[in-house]
Amino acid sequence: MDYSVDELMITAMARELAGEVMVSSVTSLGALSAYLAKRTHAPELAVLSTPESGMEVTPMPTLTLGQFMTDAQQGIPLTMEDIFDAIFLDRFRIWINPAQIDRFGNVNITAIGPWASPRVAMVGSRGIPEDTSHLSAILYYVTNHSPRTVVERVDFRSGAGYGSERDRLLGQRGAPTRLVTNLGVFDFRGPDHSLSVVSLHPGVSREQVQEATAFPLSFAAEVYETPVPSESDLAIIRASDPLEVRKLEFLGGREAAERLVQIYERERQAMRAALWQNRGRFR
Amino acid sequence: MNKLMRHTEVVDAIPAGSTIAIGGSSLSRKPMSLVRALAARGAGDFRLIVDVGGPEVDLLLGTHKVSRVVYAFVGFEIMGLAPNFRRAREQQTAEFEEWTEFTVMAGLDATVKSVPFLPTHAGLGTDVLTVNPSFRLFEDPIGGETLVAVPALKPDFALVHVNLADPFGNGVILGDGHVDVLCAKAARHTILSAERIVSPEELQRYGRDVQIHRIHVDGVVEAAWGAHFTGCAPYYRADLAHVQEYLAAARTPATWEAYCSRYVTDVPADYILAVGGPEELVGKLEV
Repeated sequence: MDYSVDELMITAMARELAGEVMVSSVTSLGALSAYLAKRTHAPELAVLSTPESGMEVTPMPTLTLGQFMTDAQQGIPLTMEDIFDAIFLDRFRIWINPAQIDRFGNVNITAIGPWASPRVAMVGSRGIPEDTSHLSAILYYVTNHSPRTVVERVDFRSGAGYGSERDRLLGQRGAPTRLVTNLGVFDFRGPDHSLSVVSLHPGVSREQVQEATAFPLSFAAEVYETPVPSESDLAIIRASDPLEVRKLEFLGGREAAERLVQIYERERQAMRAALWQNRGRFR
Repeated sequence: MNKLMRHTEVVDAIPAGSTIAIGGSSLSRKPMSLVRALAARGAGDFRLIVDVGGPEVDLLLGTHKVSRVVYAFVGFEIMGLAPNFRRAREQQTAEFEEWTEFTVMAGLDATVKSVPFLPTHAGLGTDVLTVNPSFRLFEDPIGGETLVAVPALKPDFALVHVNLADPFGNGVILGDGHVDVLCAKAARHTILSAERIVSPEELQRYGRDVQIHRIHVDGVVEAAWGAHFTGCAPYYRADLAHVQEYLAAARTPATWEAYCSRYVTDVPADYILAVGGPEELVGKLEV
């Protein structure tokens, strides 16, 4: 069966999730990897319905912007305190997509250029510093692996990678563990905890991934080919995201926004239809 | 005990230079009708505190009402970067202090608990500590490890939008509470805007959803569609078509000027009509 790179990445990301932990669904690739893991090898995962507001919602929640549960859905409401307590207790997982990630797993979503006079001011560190000081698995993904996204040194450390500050202040707690990109799967077991290739996606060569990376990569002793999604993986992904929100993460900003607005309206109509079908069910 | 106010009275009650904490989260339940009222007035010079900010910060920056922003995030999620925030950061037309999601909560909580700071590991190993001089490292007197002291954040005012409120200031939040309870407790004065004002008897039926308690609240404003163009679950979703209009308008000074006069300065009382009227909004945004 034909698959696309988003589906390959989601499948690779799903393999990293297991255990009785909350899993954030703040991005569509993150959400779909959590749904896939839960429906295959990790039924114990407590998948958050939306960025912050509930978990274990049935039927499957919608993917655009979350924060909306209809009367046809039910779930367990959560507070911000619940979320951060789960982070501090290491019972939380999140796939984070930074604008830049560097050789030692520092990540940036704050600014391109100097912080005080940025060339591009992005969004601010959000909750990444909390994750990178507490979790035993720190998971990153990048949909456009290039020397501009996988860089020698990030312009600003929104999240703590490896380095002398980590050694002194944090140790292993909150250290980066995985990176999945459109080219391959990586860990931080290179020299001095630098980025290292674990597997390459089908058709991707060592030269190609090196060319797309701003610093010399190391490769695991045995680099394998990333396993492709099975037919049932693909069926789960496609059923969970019939409007293909996942494809937006591979588009440029304005085009993604325009497509999202269309999907958002179709999704509302779908929710209304589900409401109508389920009328009376939870009353 | 009756705390009902009008938007204009709220605007008059908030002096220029005030520190204002704003509830909600990016495109969810921002107190936009109060924010527009503040954006439409003369003097500002406000110092904003937001955890996950979006259109409220952007609109107040775009109308030159802000001298300083404490934030963990300001953006329009997948719709794009916040245009006026971006401009103000890049051209350095206001002061900014980058915090993180939990540390904003901890800073507000320190004020609630009347302590000068709360400790955390969050931020260690990041440049947030490099660029934000408010945070201090200290040695834990019990175990000896290095921790971050998150200083108390002390808002003069908090603005919070709720689904329902009674005239005494009790407020029901039906969706995600975000950091709104902390904002309401930490601020010296809290103003609620509410989709609908109901009697205390009706409000009590909501049990645990009565998240905001009147002992922390000074004013209540009725504001149907008061979070528009952000969403107010479960009543209505964020108006992404309007978000697009906003982002397009913010691209040039002339179109931004036109946006502000159409939706902010000249017709604030008719805002709901300006964005299409209640029937159109129901058809477009209600699930």
